[in-house]
Amino acid sequence: MKKLPLHTKILIGLVLGLAFGIASIQLGWSAEFTVNYIKPIGTIFVKSLKMIAVPLILASLIIGVANIGDISKLSRMGGKTLMIFLITTVISTSIGLVLVNTFKPGKQLPLETRENLMSLYNSTAADKANVAAGIKSGTPLQPLIDIVPENIIAAATDNSAMLQVVFFAIIVGIALLQIPKKKGETVVKFFDGLNDVIIKLVEYIMIIAPYGVFALIASLIVEIAGDDPQKAWELLTALLWYSLTVIGGLFVMMLVVYPIMLKFFSKIKFLDFFKGMRPAMLLGFSTSSSSATLPVTMELVEKKLGVSEEVSSFVLPLGATINMNGTSLYQGVAAIFIAQALGLDLSIGSQIMIVLTATLAAVGSAGVPGAGMVMLVIVLESVGIPTAGIALIVAPDRILDMVRTMVNLTGDAAVAVVVAATEGELTHPKDLED
Amino acid sequence: MKKPALHVMIILGMIIGVVYGLLASNFGWIQFTTNWVKPFGSIFINLLKLVAVPLVIVTIIGGITSLSDTTKLTRIGSKTLGWFVAISLISSTIGLIFVLAVSPGKSLPVEKREELKVKYADDVSNRLNAANAVQSNGPLRILEDIVPGNIFYASQDNRNMLQVIFFSILFGIGMVISPHEKVAGLKSFFLGVNEAMLKMVHLIMKFAPIGVMALIAALLVDLAGDNPKEAISLLKVLGVFALTVIGAIVFLMAIVYPILVNRFTEFKYLDFLKKTIPAQILAFSTSSSAATLPVTIDCAEKNLKLSNEVSGFVLPLGITINMHGTCIHQAISAVFIAQAFGHDLGITEYLIVIFTCVLSSMGAPAVPGAGIIMLLIVLGSLGVEAEGLALILAIDRPLDMIRTIPNVLGDAIVAAIVDKSEKSRLKAA
Repeated sequence: MKKLPLHTKILIGLVLGLAFGIASIQLGWSAEFTVNYIKPIGTIFVKSLKMIAVPLILASLIIGVANIGDISKLSRMGGKTLMIFLITTVISTSIGLVLVNTFKPGKQLPLETRENLMSLYNSTAADKANVAAGIKSGTPLQPLIDIVPENIIAAATDNSAMLQVVFFAIIVGIALLQIPKKKGETVVKFFDGLNDVIIKLVEYIMIIAPYGVFALIASLIVEIAGDDPQKAWELLTALLWYSLTVIGGLFVMMLVVYPIMLKFFSKIKFLDFFKGMRPAMLLGFSTSSSSATLPVTMELVEKKLGVSEEVSSFVLPLGATINMNGTSLYQGVAAIFIAQALGLDLSIGSQIMIVLTATLAAVGSAGVPGAGMVMLVIVLESVGIPTAGIALIVAPDRILDMVRTMVNLTGDAAVAVVVAATEGELTHPKDLED
Repeated sequence: MKKPALHVMIILGMIIGVVYGLLASNFGWIQFTTNWVKPFGSIFINLLKLVAVPLVIVTIIGGITSLSDTTKLTRIGSKTLGWFVAISLISSTIGLIFVLAVSPGKSLPVEKREELKVKYADDVSNRLNAANAVQSNGPLRILEDIVPGNIFYASQDNRNMLQVIFFSILFGIGMVISPHEKVAGLKSFFLGVNEAMLKMVHLIMKFAPIGVMALIAALLVDLAGDNPKEAISLLKVLGVFALTVIGAIVFLMAIVYPILVNRFTEFKYLDFLKKTIPAQILAFSTSSSAATLPVTIDCAEKNLKLSNEVSGFVLPLGITINMHGTCIHQAISAVFIAQAFGHDLGITEYLIVIFTCVLSSMGAPAVPGAGIIMLLIVLGSLGVEAEGLALILAIDRPLDMIRTIPNVLGDAIVAAIVDKSEKSRLKAA
């Protein structure tokens, strides 16, 4: 029993959470008990992971850059990383478009259900549209300005300003690289120590992961079912084709695109990659937050996949904020689904436009919480689909968010492996067995 | 071809910015400028501010820990404050003399005065609220505000610089009186961060020519707005006032500063100016002494070769409480508004002007625009209508740029003076 590997424990937690959630709905247990006494465990777990995300990025990235040796390598690596991010984003959006055009889930939606959904989620759609309008009212270069913080402490107090912390850490790292080694020694040592301490903290926190995951899933199910499980179920089945299309696309990314990437550029077998990343994927699924999962992803990518710290500390935090393959795939599907449901025909030109804006929006709204939906508004507007259509897809969004977060972080890990392999920073993973 | 020196590049950027800005406001490229030029200026200022807080913390701590004992700190501290107050008093007096000699308020037509009052009524009432909030506090509130309740909270806002300085000084003193071997690691950590931050300043300064160009271009386009003719007519009305301010600042920089530098420091004034050029240009184009601070520190340590213990203490302190340009501007503005509204001020009022200007410039945080709120307090103490502020709001921005130059330069001068007196004390001993 003691020897059970972590990912198995997490999986058990997940299954038990699912069972508990379903049981409590079926047997009519009070939702209050779950919300009051089980949900907090999940919240504590997610918060403790988020707690260490900012210090981890600061320490690991400063060390990573300072150890890189020379700046030309850094800029080469940076260019490569951004390039691969861009390519995978375009690929994932395109896959989404191909699938949604093939299966046409929007045509399956009964008119009555459509009206029903529209009236139900009207206000949500309007909220998101407002946020999107806020983003778009800035100048085109606003995303660039937003990357540069005015004050590093202020940036570090906000998890959604992660990209600013990444930026600061990179220039501190560069500065440490350029001053005489003797003068910077203590600083590097300090951050090195800090980094090790935080990685230890990740291990501690992961001890409660199975319980945290149990609580997250159990409370999620109870909350989704709400007061009227019958109705919730109806809503979900009405959008079944849509959800299946999104999930199918995400599986194509996981099982076709990433294996090809890994095979082409590295010697890591996909099965090993998958095995190594299991705990992070499970966490991504149950927390639906890439920044909460980031500490775990970094540890696994270094320890299980053998990516050097320099690469992982650079690629992963950046990826958590700007490389969201799952989200961009979902945007492609959602945009066309809404168009189909509203009876609009989109030309090839508009579809290409969707790919472009989905890619740009992914980068441009990096720091915005709940970015997925907000980005979708921007995408819809770019091709003239009424944004009120978002109401159609709100219902299953929470569940789809879980799946696409899993793909988001798997994508980041795959990019980290590819960058490491082409930079010769990939050592053979030793402790895959454990 | 040899690469030209940085300050040459920056000046070049400034000239290109002016030329572009004039062209842009003439041909109405306003949208293009706000979309594609202005952001580079904002990024540049953000970068400088980003370095400011960590740099203040490490330079102060580094400076104090290089002192052997705390009596030296007290001596440097009291010298610094003494010079700050003395030069601020001189500056306010210069401002007062200039405004009395020129009387710009008397030449302002009454209808123009009313027009401006209407136009800027909203701006004035906003600031009036802020000023009321400041004034409703007790007289010792300034002291209270210097002590932060939480250092992380204080350091997340660049306006709380004085609180960060206070914490850093205490921390530095704590390190000095701790056993040496226990704090050796900490000390070398702070020195390392200091070195890294200065390197960051160098990296950022490579971007300065573009940043300065964008700042100046965007400023010109903003000022001209949709109606360049109106901007020019405004300038005609307030021209005498603006010239009075500029004249007083030029007097300060061309007569008073040279005397101070030649008499009390080891530099010749021209040499001193040359070595601090990057800081002066940045002060002018960012109109923020806090944003300029990293560069000022760099100039002081690398070009002027002032000792770290003095510059690390004097310069961060100076940006918040030593503002000669602001003193001059406030004295002139206060009397100008009084004149424009037909108030007659006596000798007592003039003394009040001088002292409140010095006090309020010391209490004004180092952010653009804060001086205006302080001016309201000065006006209040004279019993002059606060709406008069409208008269000077119109051309405050260009004047803000100009008065930031002596604000920054004055700090460097006091640092050099204190440095010299500490060094000569060392020699005598």
